Amino acid sequence: MKSRSLSLLLALFLLVIAVTGASAQDSVKVEIYFPIAVDSPITEILQGYADAYMADNPNVEVVWSFEGGYGDVKNRLLTVAEGGGELPALAIMLATDIYDLRNAEVIQPLDGYASEEYLADFTPTWLSNSYYDYDGDGTQELYGIPFQRSTVLLYYNADLLTEAGLAVPSNWEELATAAQALTTDSRQGILVPNSWPYWVFQPFVAGAGENIVSDSDVEVFFDTPAVVDALQYWVDLYNVYHATPVGVQSNWGDAPGALVDGAAAMIVHSSGSMRTILDNADFTVGVMGIPGKDGGQYTVTGGGNLYMTAGIDDATAQATWAFVEWLTQPERTVDWSIQTGYYNTRSSGFDLDAWKEYAGANPQADEARASVDFAAREFSVQSLGDVRDVFHAEILAVLNGELEPAAAMAAAQEQADQILSIFK
Amino acid sequence: MTSVARIFAPNERGKKINLPPYLLILPTFIFVILFTIYPTLSVFRASQEYYHPNRPNRTQMTDLNLPGVEEASRSIRGPHEVGLAYFRAMLDPSTSEGETFFQVMRNTLVYTIITVPVTMLLAFAFAVLVNRSLRWIGIARVAFFYPTMLPLVSAATIWLFFFTPDYGLWNVALRLLGYTGQENWIINRDLGLWALMIVSIWKNAGYFMIFYLAGLQSLPQDVYEAADLDGANWLTKMFRITLPLLRRTTLFVSVVAIITAFQNIDHALVLTNELVTGEADLLLYEIYKQRFVLGNYGFANALTVVMILVLLIFTLSNFFLSERGSDER
Repeated sequence: MKSRSLSLLLALFLLVIAVTGASAQDSVKVEIYFPIAVDSPITEILQGYADAYMADNPNVEVVWSFEGGYGDVKNRLLTVAEGGGELPALAIMLATDIYDLRNAEVIQPLDGYASEEYLADFTPTWLSNSYYDYDGDGTQELYGIPFQRSTVLLYYNADLLTEAGLAVPSNWEELATAAQALTTDSRQGILVPNSWPYWVFQPFVAGAGENIVSDSDVEVFFDTPAVVDALQYWVDLYNVYHATPVGVQSNWGDAPGALVDGAAAMIVHSSGSMRTILDNADFTVGVMGIPGKDGGQYTVTGGGNLYMTAGIDDATAQATWAFVEWLTQPERTVDWSIQTGYYNTRSSGFDLDAWKEYAGANPQADEARASVDFAAREFSVQSLGDVRDVFHAEILAVLNGELEPAAAMAAAQEQADQILSIFK
Repeated sequence: MTSVARIFAPNERGKKINLPPYLLILPTFIFVILFTIYPTLSVFRASQEYYHPNRPNRTQMTDLNLPGVEEASRSIRGPHEVGLAYFRAMLDPSTSEGETFFQVMRNTLVYTIITVPVTMLLAFAFAVLVNRSLRWIGIARVAFFYPTMLPLVSAATIWLFFFTPDYGLWNVALRLLGYTGQENWIINRDLGLWALMIVSIWKNAGYFMIFYLAGLQSLPQDVYEAADLDGANWLTKMFRITLPLLRRTTLFVSVVAIITAFQNIDHALVLTNELVTGEADLLLYEIYKQRFVLGNYGFANALTVVMILVLLIFTLSNFFLSERGSDER
């Protein structure tokens, strides 16, 4: 009796092993490195997506691996790759890291997976940092699928503008005078967090008529009149208009709170902060691109793309791509946008009822969306760390009152050319 | 005698190799080889290799922008064997590596020369201040020691607020003293390094105070009594008795302080990370930056070799100096 129940147990045990073994053989693990860059319940939202996907695809195991900020994810991936460790199948990293990542041979081209129809539905601006002609054959390959994307926006306290009888600023002059008029002893007219300047600076440069980068990956335009103008305008905002604190402001984290509390009338910030600002402000919040020098609105793209790692086996790659397509279906990108404040990257998503309902209740979301169409390409070139360093250093020298804009930008251009010379 | 007992028996003849002690340190020794000696040797080897994994694997005519490397058709990504090219570049200020190296060494030197004596002076002053049997002296001791208990990252984060222009505590205090200069201490070519030094001094003075306090409390009282009988004043006792008797504490503290100065990086990552280019970069921070931010592996490894050599010199000198000190006693 006893031995019979024992052998029964053994048989059961073997069966369980066989079943799990078989399922382990068929199931594919898709691990994803993900950075946490904003203050929203990202982990729960993503786990919800994974659970939903796995319920429909029982042979796929989706595992999110949260690795800190964008820099941590990139460093982790590069370190694991170098040490010969097991790479994840997918990672969210900055769109601007495309050259570094491809050069390090940790990501793979996606042209074989992405159909033209699929790509056509992405708002084209988002793909402006997704292509790279690595092998130099004249054809760009696709590497980054837009997912966690943002732009630079001007947020303003519309009630204060109305009270002061001011129109919504439409050019640099109006922006500066409005900011000046709204400045009091306890309130800054405008906050432009400029301690990590390039991203917030780019819309101002674009507003003066040019971008600091072209489509080339080995060319920058730091010493053009547009850049010098924009930098001079930043300086004028405090030196001439006294509408913002003098010099370098390390207030990226504080600016949204300052707007909400009434300590600032306008701020320049990421679209990613919209959720927090709208949820907490007890006044009408206005949202727009950065006014151009002579009118118009300007902004620049930002945020992260999905990259598929190189060297994963074919089955994993297929499963990973299927998940990428599912994750970037309009239903998901709209839901992601509503829950986090990042943009919906799919054009057809704007036709969905969920979006229409949301945009109806939050007109700011639609205003921000409009900025995407005129967003400039984000600063990204080869040796980005080096080139960005010299650009930042010279901008900060101007803000600290050490150099004049023209001299500083000429110096930045010279150093950048020197760094990029190895690629020519 | 069983064989085991024989192994552990004292070595009578003195010629046979006494195995057990070696067996006992073997596990530690393996770890030291694996995690200290092997990495040290491999970084020496890696410092002779050009490797820029963030550059594309494109072949072109290039001298890799390194002195002593002949122009040839090669990949700008590497890896390539370049011998001592990085060390040559570091000694040649006209190369970008040389420019960086000179600046970083100058920064590190200024940082060390200022923070070490100031920290030690403060530590000694604090120790003398709290080395009394007064009521509530414990509170003063805690107050001086408190910064030590904070991780450097937290200390730097606190100072991030102190250094805030306009209303930051540090600037408010300075203004009360009549300061009218720049208030942006962190993201500033002129002041960034000073900000790091201030945080380091604030953080470490309390730590070294403990050593001085321990030293002060173990001083023999009879010499002071004798000095009192001779009518020696406070100043004489300080310079003729206390300081000479604390000589070994001072030596120990100075070596530890110098090594700490080379090893601190956390506050740079919190305060000036990637925001001040060059002017506030210390050696260890520069290694991190070259390796992880700029992807210049060979240069990062060459800088690491310099770092290892500097620390080795200080560690060895500490070892020999303190050995000699104990012989004297």
